[in-house]
Amino acid sequence: MSKYRVARMTLSGQLALVLFTAALVGICAMPWWASQGLIRDVVTLACYIAVAQMWNMLAGYGGVVSVGQQAFVGVAAYAMFVLAQTFGVNPFLAVFLSLIAPAILAVPIYGLLHRLEGAYFAIGTWVVAEALRLVATNMSMLNGGAGMSLRVMTQFSAHERAVASSLLAAALLLVTLGGSYLLLRSRYGIALTAMRDNPVAAASQGVDVGRLRLLIFIATAVGTGFAGAVYFMAQLRITPPSAFDASWANLAIFIVMVGGIGSLEGVIIGAVIYFFADRWFGEYGASYLIVLGLLTLVCALYFRGGIWGLWSKWVEAPWFPTRRRLIRLDGDKA
Amino acid sequence: MHWIDGIVQGVLLGGLYAQYALGMALMFGVMKIVNVTHGDLVVLLALIGISLANFAGLGPWAVLATLVPIGAALGWLLQRALLNRVVGNDPLPSLIATFGLSIALQNAMLVIWSADTRSLSGGGIQQASISLGPIFIGVLPLIVLICATLLTGGLDLTMRRTRFGRSLRAASADVEAAAMVGVNPRNVYAAATAIAVGILGFAATFQAMRSTVAPADGPFQLIYAFEAVIIGGLGSIWGAFAGAMILGISQAIGFRISPGFGILAGHLVFLAVLAIRPQGIFQRKS
Repeated sequence: MSKYRVARMTLSGQLALVLFTAALVGICAMPWWASQGLIRDVVTLACYIAVAQMWNMLAGYGGVVSVGQQAFVGVAAYAMFVLAQTFGVNPFLAVFLSLIAPAILAVPIYGLLHRLEGAYFAIGTWVVAEALRLVATNMSMLNGGAGMSLRVMTQFSAHERAVASSLLAAALLLVTLGGSYLLLRSRYGIALTAMRDNPVAAASQGVDVGRLRLLIFIATAVGTGFAGAVYFMAQLRITPPSAFDASWANLAIFIVMVGGIGSLEGVIIGAVIYFFADRWFGEYGASYLIVLGLLTLVCALYFRGGIWGLWSKWVEAPWFPTRRRLIRLDGDKA
Repeated sequence: MHWIDGIVQGVLLGGLYAQYALGMALMFGVMKIVNVTHGDLVVLLALIGISLANFAGLGPWAVLATLVPIGAALGWLLQRALLNRVVGNDPLPSLIATFGLSIALQNAMLVIWSADTRSLSGGGIQQASISLGPIFIGVLPLIVLICATLLTGGLDLTMRRTRFGRSLRAASADVEAAAMVGVNPRNVYAAATAIAVGILGFAATFQAMRSTVAPADGPFQLIYAFEAVIIGGLGSIWGAFAGAMILGISQAIGFRISPGFGILAGHLVFLAVLAIRPQGIFQRKS
């Protein structure tokens, strides 16, 4: 019998899992206890968390930095609008069908851009997002620059829409946070973590770095697109500048850098901070954004691990433990 | 004739893009970093220049003569205070740091100068043109193109012929080996960024004279510079110049096909180059 066993779960992790499940159940049940305004806020926050977590997987684990994730937000959201409004597909079904668009688009984008070195890859994603915005502006099928409205939603009652929004928000969190956690706990997670720490060393250990990067790029494109489809379904209206808005990339980068890159906990902390900062200080417009930009800069320069990184130095209590630890079984004499 | 005119205007437009692209090609060649504030610095310098013209009564050439040293000083400061901390193999820190700075800069400019579009008066030179048969060539765009050519040639000669150029190339090839033979990488990097942003002083003056500037324009200039560098081929000074010409021609012809298609045509040519010749048009495969 082995004297050792590998432990991953911690008490803090079990607690967090219970809380996470309770939160998801609470979100699903929102139509029966929360106000319209609260539901809208929770949907928005869920979208922030999802977009940020997808960027975190990409940059924090995949080592692929993108500043053009709004490309996938916009493409999925527009696909959903076209399916639901133009082709009469059930809007809630259309949200899921629309995810095919970012998945298909991610392959040629990665294929073209991975030829560029690190930082140039990032600017390349920005060009793609800009190009897609201009395409949407010129496409008569999307009603060009005037944008589209989701008028088909009027066939549903306010309560039905609240139920759908709540379920979609819960599904979004489950897929992006839960999915990331499961992925990181699997053997792919070990490969990803190895790749994050040193791609060359990971490759020498048998990790197919190129393939894994492509897969993570596609997966995060789909997750980001999911957030976009859910967000714009709640907005009921879409225009090219709002769909392909660079502030999606801004908020993802701010949330991840301030919260703590390479951790799921950091994304939740960062998203909550961003959400309330936007709520309380958003009225200051430009000055508020100056502070946001400088905070991102300071984190990139001095606090690479963000808030969660600082906190973890003091307290080791991960909410989403992924680290494997070797534990000697009791009763063995060594 | 319509299309020949498009190509001529595209080349003239490319002269402006070359001035954006040179500094970016230099910085990436030497340090392998991308400064996301590249375009915002053009806008910042242009707005400073317009304010100087308005309040100190400087003419356009005096503005140019002031903006170039201001740009060089800003570049030196940027490298010393910020970029020297994040130069390295990992592209993430430099990218994110300058990304954050870019957002801060754009909004700081919005606070100081408001969202209005502004331009710099050139004292009549903007309207002057010479005619070559049926094609009209603006005097100002021609000056911009000549200036861009001289800057490219000068930078290329500096890189190839001078002691400073040698230390730049040494730091770019192998920074540790360069340090061993007496090159201080931090100084070399600061000088490279000072030159890069100093050149943006030219770009800023001409941009403000040729058209308009507003605080939110920076990302577009960044993207044009980037496209020119990639189309031409990484790390090559004349490549960036040629890339800027191709980008300018693509946009000018795109605008003639449909006004909504101009900028998009530039993006499409960029993506096509990536698909067909990822090392850039003027770069031999290494």
